[in-house]
Amino acid sequence: MEKFAPVTRSEDGQPVRYLIVDDSVFARKNLARMVETFGGQVIGEAGDGVSAISEYERLTPDIVLMDITMPQTEGIEAAEKIVRDHPTARIVMVSSVGYQENIVAALQRGARHFVQKPVKAEVLYEVIKYVMRDDSAAQGAGAGV
Amino acid sequence: MTFPPEDRMSELRQLFFESAGELLQTLNEQALQLEKSPGDAEIARSLRRTVHTLKGDSAACGFRELSELCHEFEDVLTLGNTAAAGLVPEIALRAADVFAALLQAYRKGTKLPSIGSLRADIARLAHPAAKGNPAKENSATRKKAAAKKSRWSEYEQLAIARARAENKRVHHVVVDVDPQCGMPIAGRQMVQLALAEMGDVLALYPLEGSHEPITRIEAALVSEKSAEQIRAKCSIPTIAQNVRVTALRAAAGTPTVAAVSSAEAEAGGEVPPPATESGLAGATGTASSDAADSSVHDGSASGESVATLVVASGADNLLRVDAERIDSVLNLVGELILAKSMLQQALMEFGQRFPKDALRGKFADAMAFQGRVLNDLQHSVMKIRMVPVDQLFRRFPRIVHDVGRQCGKEVELVVRGGQTDLDKSILDAMAEPVTHLVRNAIGHGLETAEERVRAGKRPQGVLRLGAYHQGNQVVIEVSDDGAGIDVEKVRQRALAQGLLRTEQAARMSESETLDLILQPGFSTAEQVTELSGRGVGLDVVQSVLTRVKGTIQIETARGRGTTFRLRLPLTLAIIRGLMFRVEQRLYALPLNAVAEIARTLEENIHQVEQYDVLQLRDDVLPLLRLGARPESGPEMARRKVFVLVIHSGERKFGVLVDELVGEDELVIKALDDQSIKTDLVSGASILGDGRVVLILNMIALMDRFTWGRDASGAGMAGLLSSVARAGTGIPVRAAAAGGQL
Repeated sequence: MEKFAPVTRSEDGQPVRYLIVDDSVFARKNLARMVETFGGQVIGEAGDGVSAISEYERLTPDIVLMDITMPQTEGIEAAEKIVRDHPTARIVMVSSVGYQENIVAALQRGARHFVQKPVKAEVLYEVIKYVMRDDSAAQGAGAGV
Repeated sequence: MTFPPEDRMSELRQLFFESAGELLQTLNEQALQLEKSPGDAEIARSLRRTVHTLKGDSAACGFRELSELCHEFEDVLTLGNTAAAGLVPEIALRAADVFAALLQAYRKGTKLPSIGSLRADIARLAHPAAKGNPAKENSATRKKAAAKKSRWSEYEQLAIARARAENKRVHHVVVDVDPQCGMPIAGRQMVQLALAEMGDVLALYPLEGSHEPITRIEAALVSEKSAEQIRAKCSIPTIAQNVRVTALRAAAGTPTVAAVSSAEAEAGGEVPPPATESGLAGATGTASSDAADSSVHDGSASGESVATLVVASGADNLLRVDAERIDSVLNLVGELILAKSMLQQALMEFGQRFPKDALRGKFADAMAFQGRVLNDLQHSVMKIRMVPVDQLFRRFPRIVHDVGRQCGKEVELVVRGGQTDLDKSILDAMAEPVTHLVRNAIGHGLETAEERVRAGKRPQGVLRLGAYHQGNQVVIEVSDDGAGIDVEKVRQRALAQGLLRTEQAARMSESETLDLILQPGFSTAEQVTELSGRGVGLDVVQSVLTRVKGTIQIETARGRGTTFRLRLPLTLAIIRGLMFRVEQRLYALPLNAVAEIARTLEENIHQVEQYDVLQLRDDVLPLLRLGARPESGPEMARRKVFVLVIHSGERKFGVLVDELVGEDELVIKALDDQSIKTDLVSGASILGDGRVVLILNMIALMDRFTWGRDASGAGMAGLLSSVARAGTGIPVRAAAAGGQL
């Protein structure tokens, strides 16, 4: 895996803290490995939407990587709930192409971005950079892919 | 119960037409909602569901054209998401019109209307402003594309022009989508969100549900942010490959044939670059020309078919019954009430003949019980016929929208009291007059936005529709906050048209003068502008109200607006009437019209000019003498008479009658024009003993009072002589009438 310049929180330069939500343990580990190469820190994991919500409450991570299809509460609902309670939450939906409509729905309900499965590290990296970008600092930071 | 197949089919079809009417109404409402909150996914979804349901229903009934159209429309709606809602409401409204026309044709078995233009509209939603092959694009064609701003719909053009007129910065944002992006629809959603964070998105293409691959996203954005900030925001990883942000000059100053044909037009030649400052004018021009186009739909489709297709809807537990069946039940109830009166009459006679008989009490008890039940029955049946006024009011958001656009006016519609119940036949009869008043109010009552601003009002005119109960009546109000009616001009006009003589004019109160605009022949189209428009065909409104025994009252305040207040009886079939005699003949007036009854002597009645007046407490009450004035003499002076004091709107007058008979529930039997030539009588009823009572027409009486004052030297005297003469052979169920009149 290639090397990425670490993404940090713009306010204090600390590592970005992640909550990874996916019902597949493999997918969670895979994502965790990736974000660690971006200098991130995985502070929590959840296997379904309900625990995603409670974990968010407990940990207030900087970024949530949220799978869209999960048992019990689906990713969209979980995302919606989290954003409703925490409007500043940054949620990135993770999904395969077939769920484009759900992605759109999630975006409408407050998710910040999405990445397509299978997730490519360089794509996720750009997305994280974009999502972590402070809007006031956004000038000139236009990073095309 | 089994039906022969064709019977069942026709019943099904009937059901289909009814529910399709409701669906169209819903479609209209949803389209209007969507227009108000563009991009609302929930509304968009429910709109799609409506189309979907209509598709299924029409397919089941074998209406192929309709179901195919719905199918195409639904497809287009399904694919998309929220973006660029600009065109969807517009096309949904057109679709509703075309669907209504189709339904009408199916129902009547007439030739189907042309559906080509709707097809084209739908296709336009699917392939908005199809451009050349993007792969071939170089910077030159990009510039060209940027100049082709006429891809914005007329609404969007208007919005852009307005924003520019308010000195806002309007950016043209073009985002080329990364060809690697696997989810371009979601990508477009991201772009839309990003744009929405930067400012107001006036337009966004491709539209929702585009079939073509999304290779480029174009938007008009109002934002105070710099082009560089916007560019950075839209440079979304994995989605945006290239972002260009330029200042959007005037929006399509080229008055293209609206946006309807823009797709084809653009595919062909290049639209000349827009002139800079003609933005507002160009856009408005386009919008209004399009409005003129769509007025063709308005007249035929929304005006008629939607109206006829609107059916009651509501809770799940609904039973659909043919109105005729209810009418026949109500008729029977009417007969029962007659029978009750007959029984009562018989009981009275029995009591007189056998005052001590124990049976009399038993009869009386039984009859009292029967009377109560009958009362309940009558009310229950009448309730069946009652429908919420909302059934009428819900058409108006669409009508106001269309008429407002036609007139180029911004109108806010405020509806209150939609839950007020009214007899269905009355409500149906009101559809036309109320529509007329609403159109008038927008067309002539409300000023243009500029005029309003000059007068210190909000640019947006307010049109209020209201309904409420008042006593035994329902009041429907149509009011606007426009310029009001110039009463003096009405007076002048009436004088000029010979509807009024100078000495009459001097005597008339303001409200009497206002009522002139309801007179037939008062105004013609030519006066419309001169008189701020009121009066066009308002006599139609008046005549419908007269037919349903309602009244109309006009209130106006210069610069503040006009209110038309329609007072309607709760039901047509049965009224409580006050019966009285004039010259030995029996008449009745609706009880709720009578405010009080005074008793006096003939000698207290004075004559001022040729009119009879009576001093009643502190007021001088003008009197209407229905019979002939008696020969003067001492005997006559001591004669007792009754005065029924009638309030009608602003006016108050007394009706002189010889003798009061009592009040009763009168089941109104319509009289045909052959039986009675005068409009002074609006109907007849039969009493329990078989006597016929003529029900007087309040409105006509009043008109005679106002207009007939100096028609003859005798004033109103002998007004009813002609009625009585005409009334002698009225075939109101001849057996019962028995020539007793």
